[in-house]
Amino acid sequence: MPDEIRVLVIDDEAPIRRAVSNALVADGLSVSEAGTAREGLDLAAAERPALIILDLGLPDGSGINVCRDLRGWCRVPIIVLSARHSDSEKVALLDAGADAYVTKPFSASALQARVRAQLRRAAAAPADGGRGEIEINGLRLDLARRSVGRGAREIHLTPTEWDLLRELVRHAGRTLTHRQLFAAVWPHSGGDAQAYLRVHISNLRGKIEVDPVRPHLVLTEPGVGYRFRSLD
Amino acid sequence: MATDSGRSTEAGAERRRLTADFALAIGLLALVTVGLVALRARLDKAHVALAYLLLVLVASAWRGRAVGLTLAVLSFVCFNFFLIPPYHTLAVADPLDWLALVVYLITSLVAAQLLYRAKREAAARAQLLAEAERARALREADRQKDALLASVSHDLRTPLTTITALANELRLAGDDRAATIELEAARLNLLVTDLLELSRLNGGVLQLQLEANAADDLLGSALERLAGAPRIGDVDARLEQAEPLLGRFDFTHSLRALVNLIENALKYSPPGQRVEVVAGRWGNRLVFTVSDRGPGIPPEDAAHVFDPFFRSAGRTPDVTGTGLGLTIARRLAEAQGGALRYQPRAGGGSVFSLELPALDLPPSPES
Repeated sequence: MPDEIRVLVIDDEAPIRRAVSNALVADGLSVSEAGTAREGLDLAAAERPALIILDLGLPDGSGINVCRDLRGWCRVPIIVLSARHSDSEKVALLDAGADAYVTKPFSASALQARVRAQLRRAAAAPADGGRGEIEINGLRLDLARRSVGRGAREIHLTPTEWDLLRELVRHAGRTLTHRQLFAAVWPHSGGDAQAYLRVHISNLRGKIEVDPVRPHLVLTEPGVGYRFRSLD
Repeated sequence: MATDSGRSTEAGAERRRLTADFALAIGLLALVTVGLVALRARLDKAHVALAYLLLVLVASAWRGRAVGLTLAVLSFVCFNFFLIPPYHTLAVADPLDWLALVVYLITSLVAAQLLYRAKREAAARAQLLAEAERARALREADRQKDALLASVSHDLRTPLTTITALANELRLAGDDRAATIELEAARLNLLVTDLLELSRLNGGVLQLQLEANAADDLLGSALERLAGAPRIGDVDARLEQAEPLLGRFDFTHSLRALVNLIENALKYSPPGQRVEVVAGRWGNRLVFTVSDRGPGIPPEDAAHVFDPFFRSAGRTPDVTGTGLGLTIARRLAEAQGGALRYQPRAGGGSVFSLELPALDLPPSPES
Protein backbone atom coordinates (compact mmCIF):
# COMPACT_ATOMS: atom_id res chain seq x y z
CA MET A 1 0.00 0.00 0.00
CA PRO A 2 1.53 3.37 -0.98
CA ASP A 3 1.85 6.08 1.65
CA GLU A 4 -0.35 8.44 -0.29
CA ILE A 5 -3.97 7.41 -0.62
CA ARG A 6 -5.59 9.16 -3.54
CA VAL A 7 -9.32 9.73 -3.92
CA LEU A 8 -10.94 10.90 -7.15
CA VAL A 9 -13.96 13.23 -6.83
CA ILE A 10 -16.20 13.44 -9.93
CA ASP A 11 -18.81 16.18 -9.58
CA ASP A 12 -19.87 19.00 -11.87
CA GLU A 13 -20.57 21.43 -9.01
CA ALA A 14 -17.33 23.16 -7.96
CA PRO A 15 -18.57 24.07 -4.42
CA ILE A 16 -19.44 20.44 -3.73
CA ARG A 17 -16.06 19.27 -5.06
CA ARG A 18 -14.44 21.78 -2.73
CA ALA A 19 -16.47 20.69 0.30
CA VAL A 20 -15.77 17.02 -0.40
CA SER A 21 -12.06 17.66 -1.01
CA ASN A 22 -11.68 19.63 2.21
CA ALA A 23 -13.28 16.82 4.20
CA LEU A 24 -11.01 14.22 2.60
CA VAL A 25 -7.80 16.26 2.89
CA ALA A 26 -8.65 16.85 6.57
CA ASP A 27 -8.65 13.07 6.88
CA GLY A 28 -5.12 12.81 5.43
CA LEU A 29 -6.10 11.79 1.90
CA SER A 30 -4.92 13.19 -1.44
CA VAL A 31 -7.64 14.34 -3.83
CA SER A 32 -8.00 14.67 -7.60
CA GLU A 33 -11.03 16.47 -9.00
CA ALA A 34 -12.96 15.99 -12.24
CA GLY A 35 -15.91 18.09 -13.43
CA THR A 36 -17.22 15.77 -16.15
CA ALA A 37 -17.73 12.04 -16.66
CA ARG A 38 -15.15 11.95 -19.48
CA GLU A 39 -12.49 13.71 -17.40
CA GLY A 40 -13.32 11.46 -14.46
CA LEU A 41 -12.88 8.24 -16.46
CA ASP A 42 -9.58 9.51 -17.90
CA LEU A 43 -8.25 10.43 -14.45
CA ALA A 44 -9.41 7.09 -13.02
CA ALA A 45 -7.41 5.27 -15.70
CA ALA A 46 -4.35 7.50 -15.36
CA GLU A 47 -4.08 7.76 -11.58
CA ARG A 48 -5.63 4.50 -10.33
CA PRO A 49 -7.18 6.14 -7.24
CA ALA A 50 -7.91 4.10 -4.11
CA LEU A 51 -11.52 5.30 -4.08
CA ILE A 52 -13.90 7.26 -6.31
CA ILE A 53 -16.63 9.66 -5.18
CA LEU A 54 -19.12 10.08 -7.99
CA ASP A 55 -22.05 12.49 -8.42
CA LEU A 56 -25.14 10.84 -9.86
CA GLY A 57 -26.26 13.84 -11.94
CA LEU A 58 -23.31 14.63 -14.22
CA PRO A 59 -23.93 16.83 -17.28
CA ASP A 60 -22.24 14.61 -19.88
CA GLY A 61 -23.43 11.14 -18.90
CA SER A 62 -25.32 9.71 -16.00
CA GLY A 63 -23.35 8.55 -12.99
CA ILE A 64 -24.76 5.07 -13.53
CA ASN A 65 -23.02 4.80 -16.90
CA VAL A 66 -19.75 5.95 -15.35
CA CYS A 67 -20.21 3.27 -12.69
CA ARG A 68 -20.74 0.54 -15.31
CA ASP A 69 -17.79 1.79 -17.33
CA LEU A 70 -15.47 1.73 -14.29
CA ARG A 71 -16.66 -1.72 -13.27
CA GLY A 72 -15.69 -2.95 -16.73
CA TRP A 73 -12.01 -2.78 -15.76
CA CYS A 74 -11.47 -2.08 -12.06
CA ARG A 75 -12.64 -2.94 -8.54
CA VAL A 76 -12.00 0.49 -6.96
CA PRO A 77 -14.63 1.32 -4.30
CA ILE A 78 -17.21 3.79 -5.61
CA ILE A 79 -19.28 6.03 -3.32
CA VAL A 80 -22.13 7.82 -5.09
CA LEU A 81 -23.41 11.25 -4.09
CA SER A 82 -27.10 11.57 -4.76
CA ALA A 83 -29.76 14.24 -4.28
CA ARG A 84 -32.37 12.06 -5.91
CA HIS A 85 -35.39 10.99 -3.94
CA SER A 86 -35.91 7.75 -5.75
CA ASP A 87 -34.88 4.43 -4.24
CA SER A 88 -34.91 2.78 -7.66
CA GLU A 89 -31.98 5.01 -8.70
CA LYS A 90 -29.97 3.93 -5.68
CA VAL A 91 -30.77 0.31 -6.41
CA ALA A 92 -29.80 0.76 -10.07
CA LEU A 93 -26.44 2.24 -9.19
CA LEU A 94 -25.65 -0.41 -6.57
CA ASP A 95 -26.59 -3.03 -9.16
CA ALA A 96 -24.29 -1.19 -11.59
CA GLY A 97 -21.40 -1.79 -9.18
CA ALA A 98 -21.33 1.16 -6.75
CA ASP A 99 -20.40 0.22 -3.17
CA ALA A 100 -22.20 2.86 -1.16
CA TYR A 101 -24.16 6.06 -1.52
CA VAL A 102 -24.39 9.29 0.44
CA THR A 103 -27.52 11.42 0.09
CA LYS A 104 -27.19 15.19 -0.19
CA PRO A 105 -26.97 17.16 1.95
CA PHE A 106 -24.43 15.20 3.97
CA SER A 107 -22.11 16.25 6.77
CA ALA A 108 -18.34 16.06 6.35
CA SER A 109 -18.12 13.56 9.20
CA ALA A 110 -20.70 11.24 7.60
CA LEU A 111 -18.78 11.34 4.33
CA GLN A 112 -15.44 10.71 6.09
CA ALA A 113 -16.92 7.72 7.91
CA ARG A 114 -18.19 6.24 4.64
CA VAL A 115 -14.85 6.80 2.92
CA ARG A 116 -12.88 5.23 5.80
CA ALA A 117 -15.18 2.21 5.86
CA GLN A 118 -14.82 1.64 2.12
CA LEU A 119 -11.03 2.06 2.19
CA ARG A 120 -10.78 -0.43 5.08
CA ARG A 121 -13.00 -2.87 3.26
CA ALA A 122 -10.94 -2.58 0.07
CA ALA A 123 -7.70 -3.06 2.00
CA ALA A 124 -9.08 -6.18 3.67
CA ALA A 125 -10.47 -7.62 0.44
CA PRO A 126 -7.30 -9.30 -0.94
CA ALA A 127 -7.08 -11.48 2.17
CA ASP A 128 -10.79 -12.12 1.77
CA GLY A 129 -11.58 -11.46 5.42
CA GLY A 130 -14.72 -13.46 6.14
CA ARG A 131 -13.04 -16.80 5.56
CA GLY A 132 -11.53 -17.15 9.00
CA GLU A 133 -13.14 -16.96 12.38
CA ILE A 134 -14.87 -13.68 13.13
CA GLU A 135 -16.18 -12.28 16.36
CA ILE A 136 -18.53 -9.32 16.10
CA ASN A 137 -20.96 -7.90 18.64
CA GLY A 138 -20.64 -11.04 20.77
CA LEU A 139 -21.36 -13.35 17.84
CA ARG A 140 -18.80 -16.03 16.92
CA LEU A 141 -18.81 -16.87 13.27
CA ASP A 142 -16.79 -19.43 11.30
CA LEU A 143 -17.91 -19.48 7.69
CA ALA A 144 -15.55 -22.32 6.71
CA ARG A 145 -16.83 -24.67 9.41
CA ARG A 146 -20.36 -23.37 9.10
CA SER A 147 -20.70 -22.67 12.76
CA VAL A 148 -22.17 -19.73 14.57
CA GLY A 149 -22.72 -19.11 18.26
CA ARG A 150 -23.15 -16.55 20.97
CA GLY A 151 -21.16 -17.19 24.17
CA ALA A 152 -21.22 -20.89 24.86
CA ARG A 153 -24.46 -21.35 22.94
CA GLU A 154 -24.41 -22.80 19.39
CA ILE A 155 -26.97 -21.31 17.01
CA HIS A 156 -28.63 -23.54 14.45
CA LEU A 157 -29.29 -21.97 11.05
CA THR A 158 -31.24 -23.46 8.12
CA PRO A 159 -29.29 -23.88 4.83
CA THR A 160 -31.00 -20.79 3.36
CA GLU A 161 -30.16 -18.70 6.41
CA TRP A 162 -26.54 -19.87 6.09
CA ASP A 163 -26.38 -18.88 2.45
CA LEU A 164 -27.79 -15.45 3.27
CA LEU A 165 -25.44 -14.90 6.19
CA ARG A 166 -22.39 -16.02 4.19
CA GLU A 167 -23.27 -13.67 1.32
CA LEU A 168 -23.80 -10.75 3.71
CA VAL A 169 -20.60 -11.38 5.68
CA ARG A 170 -18.49 -11.86 2.53
CA HIS A 171 -19.55 -8.32 1.56
CA ALA A 172 -19.56 -6.91 5.09
CA GLY A 173 -19.77 -3.11 5.02
CA ARG A 174 -21.21 -3.07 1.52
CA THR A 175 -24.91 -2.61 0.75
CA LEU A 176 -26.33 -5.57 -1.18
CA THR A 177 -29.55 -4.90 -3.08
CA HIS A 178 -32.51 -7.24 -2.63
CA ARG A 179 -31.91 -8.49 -6.17
CA GLN A 180 -28.22 -9.21 -5.56
CA LEU A 181 -29.00 -11.15 -2.38
CA PHE A 182 -31.81 -13.08 -3.97
CA ALA A 183 -29.67 -14.02 -6.98
CA ALA A 184 -26.90 -15.26 -4.65
CA VAL A 185 -29.18 -17.41 -2.52
CA TRP A 186 -31.74 -18.68 -5.03
CA PRO A 187 -29.89 -18.56 -8.34
CA HIS A 188 -32.36 -20.74 -10.24
CA SER A 189 -35.79 -19.79 -9.01
CA GLY A 190 -38.63 -17.37 -9.51
CA GLY A 191 -41.37 -16.91 -6.96
CA ASP A 192 -41.91 -13.81 -4.89
CA ALA A 193 -38.30 -12.87 -4.19
CA GLN A 194 -39.18 -9.97 -1.98
CA ALA A 195 -41.44 -11.81 0.44
CA TYR A 196 -39.09 -14.78 1.00
CA LEU A 197 -36.00 -12.68 1.40
CA ARG A 198 -37.81 -10.62 4.07
CA VAL A 199 -38.94 -13.71 5.94
CA HIS A 200 -35.48 -15.34 5.97
CA ILE A 201 -33.82 -12.11 7.06
CA SER A 202 -36.38 -11.81 9.89
CA ASN A 203 -35.68 -15.38 10.98
CA LEU A 204 -31.92 -14.89 10.70
CA ARG A 205 -32.10 -11.77 12.85
CA GLY A 206 -34.25 -13.62 15.37
CA LYS A 207 -31.40 -16.12 15.77
CA ILE A 208 -28.22 -14.02 15.64
CA GLU A 209 -29.22 -10.57 16.95
CA VAL A 210 -29.45 -9.75 20.65
CA ASP A 211 -32.61 -7.69 20.03
CA PRO A 212 -34.12 -8.40 16.59
CA VAL A 213 -36.07 -5.13 16.72
CA ARG A 214 -32.79 -3.22 17.17
CA PRO A 215 -30.42 -5.17 14.87
CA HIS A 216 -26.67 -4.57 15.19
CA LEU A 217 -25.39 -7.03 12.57
CA VAL A 218 -27.81 -7.29 9.67
CA LEU A 219 -28.76 -3.69 8.92
CA THR A 220 -31.57 -2.52 6.66
CA GLU A 221 -30.88 0.01 3.91
CA PRO A 222 -34.43 1.32 3.50
CA GLY A 223 -35.87 0.63 0.08
CA VAL A 224 -32.54 -0.68 -1.20
CA GLY A 225 -31.30 -3.82 0.54
CA TYR A 226 -29.26 -5.07 3.49
CA ARG A 227 -25.76 -4.52 4.81
CA PHE A 228 -23.72 -6.54 7.29
CA ARG A 229 -21.90 -4.37 9.82
CA SER A 230 -18.24 -3.73 8.90
CA LEU A 231 -15.89 -6.30 10.41
CA ASP A 232 -13.56 -4.18 12.53
CA MET B 1 -80.60 33.54 -17.03
CA ALA B 2 -78.14 34.05 -19.81
CA THR B 3 -77.44 30.33 -19.98
CA ASP B 4 -81.15 29.46 -20.01
CA SER B 5 -81.91 31.74 -22.92
CA GLY B 6 -78.72 30.54 -24.58
CA ARG B 7 -79.91 26.95 -24.27
CA SER B 8 -83.36 27.73 -25.73
CA THR B 9 -81.76 29.64 -28.62
CA GLU B 10 -79.58 26.62 -29.24
CA ALA B 11 -82.59 24.25 -29.24
CA GLY B 12 -84.44 26.60 -31.61
CA ALA B 13 -81.52 26.69 -34.00
CA GLU B 14 -81.37 22.90 -33.95
CA ARG B 15 -85.10 22.65 -34.77
CA ARG B 16 -84.75 25.16 -37.63
CA ARG B 17 -81.75 23.24 -39.02
CA LEU B 18 -83.71 19.95 -39.02
CA THR B 19 -86.73 21.57 -40.74
CA ALA B 20 -84.45 23.02 -43.42
CA ASP B 21 -82.81 19.59 -43.93
CA PHE B 22 -86.18 17.86 -44.41
CA ALA B 23 -87.43 20.61 -46.76
CA LEU B 24 -84.26 20.33 -48.84
CA ALA B 25 -84.50 16.51 -48.97
CA ILE B 26 -88.15 16.59 -50.01
CA GLY B 27 -87.37 19.25 -52.64
CA LEU B 28 -84.62 17.02 -54.10
CA LEU B 29 -86.97 14.03 -54.05
CA ALA B 30 -89.59 16.07 -55.95
CA LEU B 31 -86.98 17.19 -58.48
CA VAL B 32 -85.71 13.64 -59.08
CA THR B 33 -89.30 12.34 -59.27
CA VAL B 34 -90.28 14.99 -61.86
CA GLY B 35 -87.25 14.01 -63.95
CA LEU B 36 -88.05 10.31 -63.69
CA VAL B 37 -91.73 10.85 -64.54
CA ALA B 38 -90.72 12.81 -67.67
CA LEU B 39 -88.59 9.88 -68.81
CA ARG B 40 -90.75 7.09 -67.42
CA ALA B 41 -91.71 5.65 -70.87
CA ARG B 42 -88.02 4.91 -71.59
CA LEU B 43 -86.99 3.82 -68.06
CA ASP B 44 -86.80 0.37 -66.52
CA LYS B 45 -87.80 -0.11 -62.82
CA ALA B 46 -84.13 -0.86 -62.03
CA HIS B 47 -83.10 2.63 -63.30
CA VAL B 48 -85.72 4.21 -61.06
CA ALA B 49 -84.65 2.16 -58.04
CA LEU B 50 -80.97 3.07 -58.58
CA ALA B 51 -81.74 6.77 -59.00
CA TYR B 52 -83.78 6.86 -55.77
CA LEU B 53 -81.16 4.77 -53.92
CA LEU B 54 -78.47 7.24 -54.90
CA LEU B 55 -80.64 10.07 -53.58
CA VAL B 56 -81.19 8.27 -50.23
CA LEU B 57 -77.45 7.58 -49.84
CA VAL B 58 -76.47 11.15 -50.63
CA ALA B 59 -79.09 12.50 -48.20
CA SER B 60 -78.01 10.10 -45.40
CA ALA B 61 -74.32 10.86 -45.82
CA TRP B 62 -74.94 14.56 -45.93
CA ARG B 63 -77.75 15.14 -43.43
CA GLY B 64 -77.86 12.05 -41.20
CA ARG B 65 -79.96 9.01 -40.49
CA ALA B 66 -83.37 10.65 -39.83
CA VAL B 67 -83.33 12.42 -43.20
CA GLY B 68 -82.03 9.26 -44.95
CA LEU B 69 -84.74 6.98 -43.51
CA THR B 70 -87.53 9.51 -44.18
CA LEU B 71 -86.36 9.86 -47.77
CA ALA B 72 -86.24 6.06 -48.15
CA VAL B 73 -89.91 5.77 -47.13
CA LEU B 74 -91.07 8.81 -49.17
CA SER B 75 -89.18 7.66 -52.29
CA PHE B 76 -90.79 4.26 -51.91
CA VAL B 77 -94.23 5.95 -51.98
CA CYS B 78 -93.26 8.12 -54.99
CA PHE B 79 -91.86 5.08 -56.78
CA ASN B 80 -95.20 3.30 -56.34
CA PHE B 81 -97.43 6.32 -56.99
CA PHE B 82 -95.73 7.85 -60.04
CA LEU B 83 -93.62 5.16 -61.63
CA ILE B 84 -95.35 1.78 -61.20
CA PRO B 85 -98.45 1.17 -63.36
CA PRO B 86 -101.24 1.93 -62.87
CA TYR B 87 -99.88 5.46 -62.39
CA HIS B 88 -101.22 7.95 -59.81
CA THR B 89 -102.64 5.21 -57.55
CA LEU B 90 -101.02 3.13 -54.83
CA ALA B 91 -102.38 -0.03 -56.47
CA VAL B 92 -99.92 -2.33 -58.24
CA ALA B 93 -100.96 -4.30 -61.33
CA ASP B 94 -98.05 -6.74 -61.65
CA PRO B 95 -97.29 -8.78 -58.47
CA LEU B 96 -93.59 -8.79 -59.53
CA ASP B 97 -93.65 -4.97 -59.16
CA TRP B 98 -94.52 -5.47 -55.49
CA LEU B 99 -91.34 -7.51 -55.17
CA ALA B 100 -89.31 -4.72 -56.82
CA LEU B 101 -90.88 -2.11 -54.51
CA VAL B 102 -90.34 -4.09 -51.32
CA VAL B 103 -86.75 -4.93 -52.27
CA TYR B 104 -86.17 -1.24 -52.98
CA LEU B 105 -87.62 -0.21 -49.62
CA ILE B 106 -85.52 -2.71 -47.69
CA THR B 107 -82.35 -1.87 -49.61
CA SER B 108 -82.69 1.87 -49.13
CA LEU B 109 -83.54 1.55 -45.42
CA VAL B 110 -80.61 -0.80 -44.79
CA ALA B 111 -78.23 1.36 -46.82
CA ALA B 112 -79.21 4.49 -44.88
CA GLN B 113 -78.79 2.62 -41.59
CA LEU B 114 -75.38 1.12 -42.56
CA LEU B 115 -74.06 4.44 -43.67
CA TYR B 116 -75.13 5.95 -40.37
CA ARG B 117 -73.44 3.18 -38.38
CA ALA B 118 -70.19 3.43 -40.35
CA LYS B 119 -70.08 7.16 -39.71
CA ARG B 120 -70.79 6.68 -36.01
CA GLU B 121 -68.02 4.09 -35.66
CA ALA B 122 -65.56 6.35 -37.41
CA ALA B 123 -66.51 9.12 -34.97
CA ALA B 124 -66.10 6.75 -32.01
CA ARG B 125 -62.68 5.71 -33.26
CA ALA B 126 -61.69 9.34 -33.63
CA GLN B 127 -62.87 9.99 -30.07
CA LEU B 128 -60.91 7.01 -28.73
CA LEU B 129 -57.84 8.31 -30.48
CA ALA B 130 -58.43 11.74 -29.00
CA GLU B 131 -58.80 10.21 -25.52
CA ALA B 132 -55.60 8.18 -25.91
CA GLU B 133 -53.86 11.34 -27.00
CA ARG B 134 -55.24 13.18 -23.95
CA ALA B 135 -54.08 10.37 -21.62
CA ARG B 136 -50.65 10.48 -23.20
CA ALA B 137 -50.53 14.24 -22.71
CA LEU B 138 -51.53 13.82 -19.04
CA ARG B 139 -48.81 11.22 -18.50
CA GLU B 140 -46.33 13.53 -20.14
CA ALA B 141 -47.48 16.36 -17.86
CA ASP B 142 -47.00 14.09 -14.82
CA ARG B 143 -43.56 13.14 -16.03
CA GLN B 144 -42.63 16.78 -16.50
CA LYS B 145 -43.99 17.64 -13.05
CA ASP B 146 -41.87 14.89 -11.53
CA ALA B 147 -38.81 15.97 -13.51
CA LEU B 148 -39.38 19.54 -12.35
CA LEU B 149 -39.64 18.45 -8.70
CA ALA B 150 -36.50 16.34 -9.04
CA SER B 151 -34.63 19.27 -10.51
CA VAL B 152 -35.94 21.70 -7.86
CA SER B 153 -34.91 19.15 -5.25
CA HIS B 154 -31.42 18.96 -6.77
CA ASP B 155 -31.14 22.74 -7.05
CA LEU B 156 -32.16 23.26 -3.41
CA ARG B 157 -30.07 20.48 -1.96
CA THR B 158 -26.82 21.26 -3.73
CA PRO B 159 -26.28 24.61 -1.97
CA LEU B 160 -27.48 23.06 1.30
CA THR B 161 -24.82 20.37 0.93
CA THR B 162 -22.12 22.98 0.44
CA ILE B 163 -23.34 25.07 3.38
CA THR B 164 -23.54 22.04 5.66
CA ALA B 165 -20.11 20.73 4.69
CA LEU B 166 -18.36 24.10 5.06
CA ALA B 167 -20.13 24.87 8.36
CA ASN B 168 -19.01 21.48 9.61
CA GLU B 169 -15.43 22.37 8.65
CA LEU B 170 -15.68 25.74 10.42
CA ARG B 171 -17.05 24.12 13.55
CA LEU B 172 -14.19 21.63 13.62
CA ALA B 173 -11.81 24.58 13.22
CA GLY B 174 -13.23 26.01 16.44
CA ASP B 175 -15.93 28.49 15.34
CA ASP B 176 -18.97 27.88 17.57
CA ARG B 177 -21.29 29.92 15.38
CA ALA B 178 -20.93 27.29 12.70
CA ALA B 179 -22.97 24.87 14.83
CA THR B 180 -25.96 27.20 14.43
CA ILE B 181 -25.43 27.33 10.66
CA GLU B 182 -25.39 23.53 10.57
CA LEU B 183 -28.54 23.31 12.67
CA GLU B 184 -30.40 25.84 10.54
CA ALA B 185 -29.25 24.18 7.32
CA ALA B 186 -30.57 20.88 8.65
CA ARG B 187 -33.92 22.53 9.43
CA LEU B 188 -34.05 24.09 5.99
CA ASN B 189 -33.38 20.67 4.51
CA LEU B 190 -36.29 19.19 6.49
CA LEU B 191 -38.58 21.94 5.27
CA VAL B 192 -37.47 21.48 1.66
CA THR B 193 -38.02 17.73 1.97
CA ASP B 194 -41.51 18.14 3.44
CA LEU B 195 -42.63 20.76 0.92
CA LEU B 196 -41.38 18.68 -2.00
CA GLU B 197 -43.06 15.59 -0.60
CA LEU B 198 -46.35 17.44 -0.20
CA SER B 199 -46.15 18.80 -3.76
CA ARG B 200 -45.51 15.28 -4.98
CA LEU B 201 -48.55 14.02 -3.08
CA ASN B 202 -50.70 16.92 -4.30
CA GLY B 203 -49.44 16.65 -7.86
CA GLY B 204 -50.23 12.92 -7.95
CA VAL B 205 -46.66 12.11 -8.97
CA LEU B 206 -45.60 10.27 -5.83
CA GLN B 207 -43.76 7.12 -6.87
CA LEU B 208 -44.81 4.11 -4.85
CA GLN B 209 -42.76 0.94 -4.68
CA LEU B 210 -45.36 -1.45 -3.30
CA GLU B 211 -43.64 -4.73 -2.46
CA ALA B 212 -43.42 -7.40 0.20
CA ASN B 213 -41.79 -6.06 3.37
CA ALA B 214 -41.47 -7.33 6.91
CA ALA B 215 -42.90 -5.51 9.94
CA ASP B 216 -39.77 -6.06 12.06
CA ASP B 217 -37.64 -4.59 9.27
CA LEU B 218 -39.72 -1.40 9.27
CA LEU B 219 -39.72 -1.13 13.06
CA GLY B 220 -35.97 -1.79 13.25
CA SER B 221 -35.21 0.77 10.54
CA ALA B 222 -37.33 3.41 12.28
CA LEU B 223 -35.38 2.90 15.54
CA GLU B 224 -32.10 2.91 13.60
CA ARG B 225 -33.06 6.16 11.87
CA LEU B 226 -33.75 7.70 15.30
CA ALA B 227 -30.61 6.24 16.91
CA GLY B 228 -29.14 9.67 17.66
CA ALA B 229 -32.42 11.32 18.70
CA PRO B 230 -32.81 12.68 22.21
CA ARG B 231 -34.52 10.24 24.62
CA ILE B 232 -34.59 7.41 22.09
CA GLY B 233 -33.81 5.18 25.10
CA ASP B 234 -37.34 5.90 26.33
CA VAL B 235 -38.85 3.84 23.53
CA ASP B 236 -40.12 0.33 24.26
CA ALA B 237 -40.47 -1.44 20.92
CA ARG B 238 -41.79 -4.94 20.41
CA LEU B 239 -43.45 -7.26 17.94
CA GLU B 240 -46.77 -8.74 18.95
CA GLN B 241 -46.03 -12.10 17.26
CA ALA B 242 -42.79 -14.08 17.09
CA GLU B 243 -43.15 -15.20 13.45
CA PRO B 244 -42.29 -12.74 10.66
CA LEU B 245 -45.17 -10.43 9.70
CA LEU B 246 -45.36 -9.41 6.07
CA GLY B 247 -47.10 -6.50 4.38
CA ARG B 248 -47.26 -5.04 0.89
CA PHE B 249 -46.15 -1.44 1.21
CA ASP B 250 -43.57 1.12 0.14
CA PHE B 251 -40.75 0.79 2.65
CA THR B 252 -39.26 4.28 2.41
CA HIS B 253 -42.58 6.12 2.63
CA SER B 254 -43.85 3.93 5.48
CA LEU B 255 -40.55 4.40 7.31
CA ARG B 256 -41.03 8.15 7.04
CA ALA B 257 -44.52 7.95 8.51
CA LEU B 258 -43.48 5.69 11.40
CA VAL B 259 -40.37 7.76 12.24
CA ASN B 260 -42.57 10.85 12.33
CA LEU B 261 -44.99 9.22 14.80
CA ILE B 262 -42.20 8.09 17.13
CA GLU B 263 -40.51 11.50 16.96
CA ASN B 264 -43.78 13.21 17.86
CA ALA B 265 -44.43 10.83 20.74
CA LEU B 266 -40.93 11.49 22.15
CA LYS B 267 -41.40 15.24 21.75
CA TYR B 268 -44.63 15.34 23.76
CA SER B 269 -43.94 12.57 26.26
CA PRO B 270 -43.14 13.93 29.75
CA PRO B 271 -39.65 13.10 31.11
CA GLY B 272 -39.44 9.67 32.67
CA GLN B 273 -42.44 8.32 30.75
CA ARG B 274 -42.00 5.52 28.20
CA VAL B 275 -43.17 5.58 24.59
CA GLU B 276 -44.58 2.26 23.45
CA VAL B 277 -44.23 1.08 19.86
CA VAL B 278 -45.92 -2.21 18.98
CA ALA B 279 -46.23 -3.97 15.61
CA GLY B 280 -48.87 -6.64 15.05
CA ARG B 281 -51.34 -8.00 12.57
CA TRP B 282 -55.09 -7.38 12.82
CA GLY B 283 -57.10 -9.14 10.11
CA ASN B 284 -55.72 -7.99 6.77
CA ARG B 285 -53.79 -5.07 8.27
CA LEU B 286 -50.33 -4.65 9.74
CA VAL B 287 -50.74 -2.17 12.58
CA PHE B 288 -47.97 -0.11 14.17
CA THR B 289 -49.21 1.66 17.29
CA VAL B 290 -47.22 4.46 18.90
CA SER B 291 -48.50 5.36 22.39
CA ASP B 292 -47.31 8.19 24.61
CA ARG B 293 -48.27 9.70 27.97
CA GLY B 294 -48.17 13.25 26.64
CA PRO B 295 -50.95 15.83 27.01
CA GLY B 296 -53.05 14.16 24.28
CA ILE B 297 -55.23 16.09 21.85
CA PRO B 298 -58.28 18.03 23.18
CA PRO B 299 -61.48 16.40 21.77
CA GLU B 300 -62.39 19.56 19.83
CA ASP B 301 -59.03 19.40 18.00
CA ALA B 302 -58.96 15.67 17.28
CA ALA B 303 -60.60 16.13 13.88
CA HIS B 304 -57.88 18.58 12.79
CA VAL B 305 -54.77 16.83 14.00
CA PHE B 306 -53.88 15.74 10.44
CA ASP B 307 -54.46 19.18 8.87
CA PRO B 308 -51.38 20.96 7.47
CA PHE B 309 -49.72 23.37 9.93
CA PHE B 310 -52.29 22.53 12.61
CA ARG B 311 -51.25 23.30 16.17
CA SER B 312 -53.37 22.31 19.11
CA ALA B 313 -54.16 25.35 21.27
CA GLY B 314 -52.93 23.74 24.48
CA ARG B 315 -49.53 22.79 23.10
CA THR B 316 -46.37 24.81 23.30
CA PRO B 317 -45.32 26.07 19.88
CA ASP B 318 -43.02 23.51 18.32
CA VAL B 319 -39.94 25.03 16.77
CA THR B 320 -38.32 21.84 15.56
CA GLY B 321 -41.06 20.54 13.25
CA THR B 322 -42.36 21.83 9.94
CA GLY B 323 -46.05 21.38 10.82
CA LEU B 324 -46.45 19.02 7.89
CA GLY B 325 -45.31 15.76 9.45
CA LEU B 326 -48.68 14.24 10.38
CA THR B 327 -50.35 15.49 7.19
CA ILE B 328 -47.69 13.83 5.05
CA ALA B 329 -47.66 10.69 7.18
CA ARG B 330 -51.41 10.19 6.75
CA ARG B 331 -51.32 10.93 3.01
CA LEU B 332 -48.43 8.48 2.57
CA ALA B 333 -50.32 5.77 4.47
CA GLU B 334 -53.48 6.33 2.43
CA ALA B 335 -51.58 6.36 -0.88
CA GLN B 336 -50.52 2.78 -0.11
CA GLY B 337 -53.99 1.55 0.79
CA GLY B 338 -53.36 1.99 4.50
CA ALA B 339 -54.51 4.49 7.12
CA LEU B 340 -53.27 6.64 9.97
CA ARG B 341 -55.58 7.08 12.96
CA TYR B 342 -55.53 8.96 16.22
CA GLN B 343 -57.26 7.97 19.41
CA PRO B 344 -56.92 9.18 22.99
CA ARG B 345 -55.05 6.78 25.25
CA ALA B 346 -56.80 5.37 28.30
CA GLY B 347 -55.17 6.95 31.34
CA GLY B 348 -53.94 9.99 29.34
CA GLY B 349 -51.88 10.51 26.23
CA SER B 350 -52.20 9.70 22.54
CA VAL B 351 -52.22 6.56 20.43
CA PHE B 352 -51.39 6.91 16.73
CA SER B 353 -51.90 3.77 14.61
CA LEU B 354 -50.25 3.34 11.25
CA GLU B 355 -52.10 0.65 9.28
CA LEU B 356 -50.66 -0.99 6.17
CA PRO B 357 -52.02 -3.82 3.99
CA ALA B 358 -50.86 -7.22 5.33
CA LEU B 359 -49.55 -9.96 3.04
CA ASP B 360 -49.74 -13.72 3.35
CA LEU B 361 -46.66 -15.72 2.43
CA PRO B 362 -46.75 -16.64 -1.28
CA PRO B 363 -45.59 -20.11 -2.49
CA SER B 364 -41.93 -20.78 -1.66
CA PRO B 365 -39.28 -19.98 -4.31
CA GLU B 366 -37.47 -23.22 -3.38
CA SER B 367 -40.35 -25.38 -4.57
